Amino acid sequence: MYSFLFFLILEIFGLLFLVLSFSVIVFYFILMALSGLEMRDFLRKNRFADYGDIITSPIAPGVSILAPAFNEGQSIVQNAQSLLSLHYGKFEVILINDGSKDDTLEKLIRSFELEKTNYVYHPEIETKPVRGIYRSKNMSYRRLTVIDKENGGKADALNTGINIASLELLACIDVDCILSSESISRMVRPFMEETNKKVIAVGGVIGIANNCDVQDGTVTKYRIPETTLGRFQVIEYFRAFLMGRMAWARINGLMLISGAFGFFRKDLVRAVGGYFPKTVGEDMELVVRMRRYMDEQKIPHKVGFVPDPLCWTEVPESEKVLSRQRNRWMRGTIETLQLHQVLRLNPKFGILGMVSYPFWSIFEKAAPIIETAGILYTTILLIVGDFSTIYFVALLLMMYLLSLLVSSFSVLYEQIAFNHYKDKKDLRKLIWMIITEPFIVHPKVVYWGLLGHIDFVKGKGGWGSMIRTGFKKAEDKKNLQEQTTT
Amino acid sequence: MAKSLCRIVISLLFFLPGFASALQDTIPEDSAGFRDFLVLQKEVPGLGARFFVAGTRTLDLNTPDSAYGFAQVDSGYLSPIYIDFLQAAELEGLLLSDSVPYRLDYMVLSEPASAAAAREFVAGRIRSGDYLVKTGPEDEVEDLVALASNTRYAPVEKFRLKFVSDYRLFGVTLTIVFFFLVAIIMITSMLIMKAGKNKRENLQKEYSRLIVDPLTTLLFEKDLGEIQAMDQSELDSFFPKNLMAKPLYQHELIDSIIGLNKKMKGDFKEKLKALYKKLGLDKLSVKMLHHKNWDMATMALVQINEMDLVEALPEVKKFTNSKNFHVRSMAVSTLLNLSEKVDLVFLRDQTYPLSHWQQMNYLRIIRFVSPQKDLKLGILFDSKNRSIRLFGIKLVRILGRVDMIEKLSALAGGVSDEEKIEILETYAALGAYMESAFVNECLRSENPSLSLAAAKAAAVVGDAESAEILLELVQSETVFRNKLAYLKGLYGLDAARFAEFTSSDSHPELQDIRDHILDPMLQNV
Repeated sequence: MYSFLFFLILEIFGLLFLVLSFSVIVFYFILMALSGLEMRDFLRKNRFADYGDIITSPIAPGVSILAPAFNEGQSIVQNAQSLLSLHYGKFEVILINDGSKDDTLEKLIRSFELEKTNYVYHPEIETKPVRGIYRSKNMSYRRLTVIDKENGGKADALNTGINIASLELLACIDVDCILSSESISRMVRPFMEETNKKVIAVGGVIGIANNCDVQDGTVTKYRIPETTLGRFQVIEYFRAFLMGRMAWARINGLMLISGAFGFFRKDLVRAVGGYFPKTVGEDMELVVRMRRYMDEQKIPHKVGFVPDPLCWTEVPESEKVLSRQRNRWMRGTIETLQLHQVLRLNPKFGILGMVSYPFWSIFEKAAPIIETAGILYTTILLIVGDFSTIYFVALLLMMYLLSLLVSSFSVLYEQIAFNHYKDKKDLRKLIWMIITEPFIVHPKVVYWGLLGHIDFVKGKGGWGSMIRTGFKKAEDKKNLQEQTTT
Repeated sequence: MAKSLCRIVISLLFFLPGFASALQDTIPEDSAGFRDFLVLQKEVPGLGARFFVAGTRTLDLNTPDSAYGFAQVDSGYLSPIYIDFLQAAELEGLLLSDSVPYRLDYMVLSEPASAAAAREFVAGRIRSGDYLVKTGPEDEVEDLVALASNTRYAPVEKFRLKFVSDYRLFGVTLTIVFFFLVAIIMITSMLIMKAGKNKRENLQKEYSRLIVDPLTTLLFEKDLGEIQAMDQSELDSFFPKNLMAKPLYQHELIDSIIGLNKKMKGDFKEKLKALYKKLGLDKLSVKMLHHKNWDMATMALVQINEMDLVEALPEVKKFTNSKNFHVRSMAVSTLLNLSEKVDLVFLRDQTYPLSHWQQMNYLRIIRFVSPQKDLKLGILFDSKNRSIRLFGIKLVRILGRVDMIEKLSALAGGVSDEEKIEILETYAALGAYMESAFVNECLRSENPSLSLAAAKAAAVVGDAESAEILLELVQSETVFRNKLAYLKGLYGLDAARFAEFTSSDSHPELQDIRDHILDPMLQNV
């Protein structure tokens, strides 16, 4: 009897893995097709776009750039200057010094002739106390505002910026990001193009700046990074941004906008209560909450995506830092999905509830668990002698070929659309990376993801019971804050 | 899976002991009945029957041609052991017809046994499930089923293709083959595309080289009249007929002419436009308007717009309400740019909401044409489309059309709050002091957005009553941000009143707001 049950379970698991493998293949093929269509339309549209008008047009919306800084003393002045030199008519730069322990604030005060103002800070979104708000009398820096506050993390710093932002759109960025001078005009276009659906947020592509030449805030010469982890991330970013997000944008199912470079409608961000500082995935959580709010209010909406290369960042190339980042991303994903469980297969939330949420739950959140379970399953089959070598090799080959196909597609895609990596040596290195990635880097990524799950279960980082219970309504974050305040 | 489980459960039910004992009760107790039972069964594994005829008989029981086939023993004759009870019954019938006295012995596992022992043996086989009792005559189908269920399944390896029989392996193999096919198709199509692209680029370069010389000659060596007077043979000498028949050459020629038209001024522009028409490229542009791909149709509109093909405007007008965003945007831009009177009726009648992107593009053109043409903006206020009405109000503000204030004033009473906000901004921008009554009415609105917009406008075009309303609002307002906005409005409208009010109340919040408003570094925050 027990033997029968054991083999029955093995059989069920075998079928389950097979179904999952085929679902991955089907999903990736759909994503490839959708992203191809979206890119084709984007390139066609770009032929008729004149971005010169946006810079001076009184119709174009104003943009508040929010950049939190923590111990950025070494590069803060250069970064602030780069932000102030962006080509756009109506924008302000709000730098938030999040309780830096170095000389970040002093350097800013000195370089931009800042003075403490009488700004009356009365937060709509609860934040850590603000010590002072600085502005310059020098008209050259009239667009700059610096907030000095107690340390509270990135989300808290951004919330402080949201509280004082005065323009219609918010550009939430990492202060060390390199932004193209055209970045604002390109990113506001989807907001300006809206007709029937309200565009609530727009995400952009993050390029990898490691080993590249940068001049006047733009990457002038692309080279792939020297390390394996750096190269892996180049391919991974192609897959995520050029393929994944383009495809999700096509069906209006985007759930994530990178925290390093995302544009949001200010009134809506305030309406939902800003970022949730108790989760490590604050960028994803905010997008999901905003979408949920719009669905709850029954307002047709859209999250846009611009595939133009407009923002670059340095990615971690050391295993230690990358593992921490991946652990954090995994916890952020789990926390966001937990907070918004109500979306799960809920037709009320359309594509978000019926497609995006289940996809993220299975292929992003549960992926490390499924892959580990697959290894355990194979080991058990080996022990009980029910192991079919030919089947195992075929399945492995199938998944490996899928990985090759998807990665090659995203690299080819980049070559056709932008063609940044022109050096043949770079391309050869990328191809080698595509071939070896599943064996060299992927197991590590799975392991880091698994550690993220373990840390989540241990309650590291997140807000324990709140995250487990989840928000009953998108506006609950605001109510929670009010309760905390009173 | 559920089906298999069901089958297992049903099988288990059949093998329940109670069910087996019920079956064994069907074995008759009497010897004649038991014999009939065995004949019905035909065979019971392990059970046989043998006949014994005592003494010496006159019949040839043991001769080779005898029908009996008995063997002679000391005391008589013994038949072979019959495992087929039907055959045994036939022999018994023969013995009876020949009146030969006999004795029937049962053989259990080749050992002689009594009828009772044989009965017990059969019952035991039934109980253990080793034998299934036949209860009636069998038909052919039941026979086959019984045979199949009694035979242990063994696949015929010789004829079995492993990949096909294992559905999982089959699926995986098919997918791998599919991957290879996709990869081959992807690589092949990429190579074809790349080769096609290279060929196209080379041809473009070649055509471009062939176009530059005649174009330069025509532009610099011939005047407008000469170009207009050129006949087909002359044109052919510059742009050969065989090349003009090629779509890529035409495309390259159009691009070159439009590129030059953008860069050049005055007479050259006219020459290029004349040449465009002389070469029949205008007809190509109009034809391309009806292309099924929206980008080609938009490209045609760009060409019509750039080359001032006024005669194509009736065709262009048909696209102003196209369902494609880009086509209708470009169609409206073209109409705004080219039509003589700039009759905005086509814009008024547009049913699709106007995006900010479209507004920006139209504004650029309207700004450019407004000094030369008489723009009847008022027509836009009659539109059923709210976004068009909003755009109309914005145009009044941005173009500084003070003459339209009266029209706006007539409109202001019966429009939506969003339009009222736009009108307030326009009044403030144009300094419409006579509209303070409307500002005051909006200040008292229950819609906070409208009230705040009115406070902003009051700072510029408010009156004494506005100041009073603002003070009332400050005192009753609980939302900090709104309080700040009302006080800012008051400060802009009447600084003395503001100072008087803020000094009379020592509430710390009010003092903070006062400091904020008075801080010169926060003027625009």
